[in-house]
Amino acid sequence: MLKLLGAAMVVAASGLCGIVMAGGYSRRPRELRFLRTALQMLETEVVYGATQLAEAMKQVGSRCDDAVGPLFYQAAGELSSLTGVTAAEAWEKSLTNYYPGSALKPQDLLILRNLGASLGISDRDDQIKHLHLAMEQIRAETVAAEEEAARNVKLWSYLGFLGGLMLVLILY
Amino acid sequence: MNKVRQSVPVSNGNEAVNDILPVLPLHIRHMIVNLPKSIKDKVEEIRIRQGRPLVLGFTAEDVFLDPGGRPVRLAVNAYKVTAKDMERLIQLISGSSIYALEEELKNGFITLPGGHRAGITGKAVLERGTVRTLKYFSGCNIRICREVPGAASGLMPYLINKNCKDVYHTVLISPPRCGKTTILRDVVRQISSGIPELGLPGLAVGLVDERSEIAGCYKGVPQLDVGVRTDVLDGCPKAEGMMMLLRSMSPRVIAADEIGRREDVDALEEVLNAGVKVLITAHGSSLADLAERPVMEKIINHKMVDRIVILGRSRGVGTVEKIIDGKSFCSLEVKKC
Repeated sequence: MLKLLGAAMVVAASGLCGIVMAGGYSRRPRELRFLRTALQMLETEVVYGATQLAEAMKQVGSRCDDAVGPLFYQAAGELSSLTGVTAAEAWEKSLTNYYPGSALKPQDLLILRNLGASLGISDRDDQIKHLHLAMEQIRAETVAAEEEAARNVKLWSYLGFLGGLMLVLILY
Repeated sequence: MNKVRQSVPVSNGNEAVNDILPVLPLHIRHMIVNLPKSIKDKVEEIRIRQGRPLVLGFTAEDVFLDPGGRPVRLAVNAYKVTAKDMERLIQLISGSSIYALEEELKNGFITLPGGHRAGITGKAVLERGTVRTLKYFSGCNIRICREVPGAASGLMPYLINKNCKDVYHTVLISPPRCGKTTILRDVVRQISSGIPELGLPGLAVGLVDERSEIAGCYKGVPQLDVGVRTDVLDGCPKAEGMMMLLRSMSPRVIAADEIGRREDVDALEEVLNAGVKVLITAHGSSLADLAERPVMEKIINHKMVDRIVILGRSRGVGTVEKIIDGKSFCSLEVKKC
């Protein structure tokens, strides 16, 4: 009886491990989608509202999902600190802090970095182009990430449970 | 009354230069901060041109700054502004929001917090023959704005009609850089807040500030003290602005800077017909000078105004050289102030 309880616990534990691993894979497409929405909001603020960048970023940061909000919020804070930083520097700094805690991959970071280099330094039309480019790239990454996630989520959740079962069989 | 006065933003003349520090790149900021107080108090403009020396402008002269931030006379010893400095300066001035400032760039200047102005040059981007915006920014002139409360106090008694507690239609005439705008700002402030000593209650003033020079509006809010009863239309063309104020704000006095175009004078006529007092300025050095210009001639010869004030700098910036009665063209006896 005790053995059976132990076996159940092993299966449950390894199954949970599998689900957690799978969750990691589904986090990235989610974050990418939020990022894209956030950039869309930024575009609206910048292009149609002609809002100052610091203010626009603060607005985006407060309105979008918690998963990406801090990125914009911190950049806004840096920009309005009057310490003589440019938008690119503020964005870079915020990105460096945000990246390790996110599920993003280096290629996603690169897209955001490239966007930062052109934030706020040109006229409206140019800003639209840069924002659209970044959004388009993020969309492509999202598609790839979703495919990857679909594969891996299944794989890891099966692997967790089956691995648990195998362990039980070996130990039994 | 006192309480209301306090709520009006007043930039302290001595510390005016500190207002513009946040828009300067860090090392230039340090140079300015470490200047002796005597220089900081007097500096009128900071000229930053890419690849050329950093210049501080004063009323009559200018000096260069060397890399250590010391004032020097020779250009060869001066700190040369780099492309990086320029780029950073523009980013800081615009709050990293060039896209939001297209209208301002078209006019060539941006108003900074505190009412200071940054003039900007670069390459103009044209669209159908008119300037759409600027790019490749190469030069910047930060003009430090110092309001001088009381600059017009000596002048005020001549502009007030004591019998009906009102002001006269007035035109201030002066060559550039003689304190025309400063005087106008102070006249507006005094009329708007009222002058108990002269028996003038505060009057509602409508101010058309086409070039954001008088009230120094930042995001539409006056940064300089233009009085408690003043409505400011910021960045609005004068002729249109005067009509808008006339229709919407029922002012007792309408003030505008640098009248010069035909439509301005037409709008002025409307204002006069509506029984609203006008307070305007014009470029020129004498009455004869003004009477020769086709547009301005109308104001003088049709006796549209009651008081013509000629400014000069014979005793420093903002000297009132002459006050002329607009109806009889007799000079009123004044001691220069």
